[in-house]
Amino acid sequence: MRGLKNKTAIITGGSRGIGRACCLAFAREGANIAFTYNKSRQEAEKIKEEILSLGAEPLSFQADVKDYTQCRKVIEDTLAKFGKIDILINNAGITKDRALFMMTLEEWKEVIDTNLGGTFNMTRAAITTLMKQKEGCIINMSSVSGLIGLSKQSNYSASKAGIIGFSKALAKEVAPLNIRVNAVCPGFIETDMTAALNENMKKQILELIPEKRLGRPEEVAELCVFLASGKAAYIAGEAIKIDGGLAI
Amino acid sequence: MKNDLETIKKEIRGLVSELAEIPVKDLRDTARFAEDLGIDSMKALEIVAAVEKKYRVIVPEEEIPTIRSLQQMFVLIEKLLNK
Repeated sequence: MRGLKNKTAIITGGSRGIGRACCLAFAREGANIAFTYNKSRQEAEKIKEEILSLGAEPLSFQADVKDYTQCRKVIEDTLAKFGKIDILINNAGITKDRALFMMTLEEWKEVIDTNLGGTFNMTRAAITTLMKQKEGCIINMSSVSGLIGLSKQSNYSASKAGIIGFSKALAKEVAPLNIRVNAVCPGFIETDMTAALNENMKKQILELIPEKRLGRPEEVAELCVFLASGKAAYIAGEAIKIDGGLAI
Repeated sequence: MKNDLETIKKEIRGLVSELAEIPVKDLRDTARFAEDLGIDSMKALEIVAAVEKKYRVIVPEEEIPTIRSLQQMFVLIEKLLNK
């Protein structure tokens, strides 16, 4: 434990779900934690206290990842506070599920701009720093939806597939500078996103998952900790499924 | 200051020569990094990082793409050192 002591991790969408679990898992490993949230101020305050109680240093930002200027400020303020950036986890994401024939342009744009655009904005804002450091690890939260596609998620699936392409291209670009980029593809995880599904849908989903259960955010966070550690030093440009066998 | 500047220019030429593996004699101050010297953007950033470390300055990110030759780098570093 505490294998990430003196490292600094930036986690977007850190107040809830997988992002929250990442904040706590990386804090447990001793990393300084800078996280963003968009609307969940109360949850963010709670997370800060939890990070502190784990003996790690928290820094929180109310920021919209759709806005490059705000992303840049997150990077600059984190650098000012912690001096470097070792790990960037682009986790902030939203869904606006709807059959394509009913989907509005706004629903399409909002999801693409937040999930894919947000990943670009944060990574673009941080990449020069990582390149100068000649060290860093970027983990982009994709989804099995980006691998196999899911009905009524054409916007979400497109954004998550885009994140995989982005991760692979960037991994090739910056691997020579000792920066590893990978994507993580969770299946159905117990978060607010899946809590919104009705019972009938949940039952149908469970039938599709060989392990017959939803994943826990902590399980995804542990995968991220592994990817950020020296144990994953030879893993680059990978899109790793964590889905109980859903997308086999 | 003039001598200092000449020393700095010489040092930066040396750095660029070492990192880009180009003999100093082939480094004209006005030569463009990409077009004339074949220094790609990744290598250019490595040079900027080395210069920052040597002179303990921070080149603002928005300025980095504007550095396209040794001459432009000299002007920027001089400006940053005089701040």
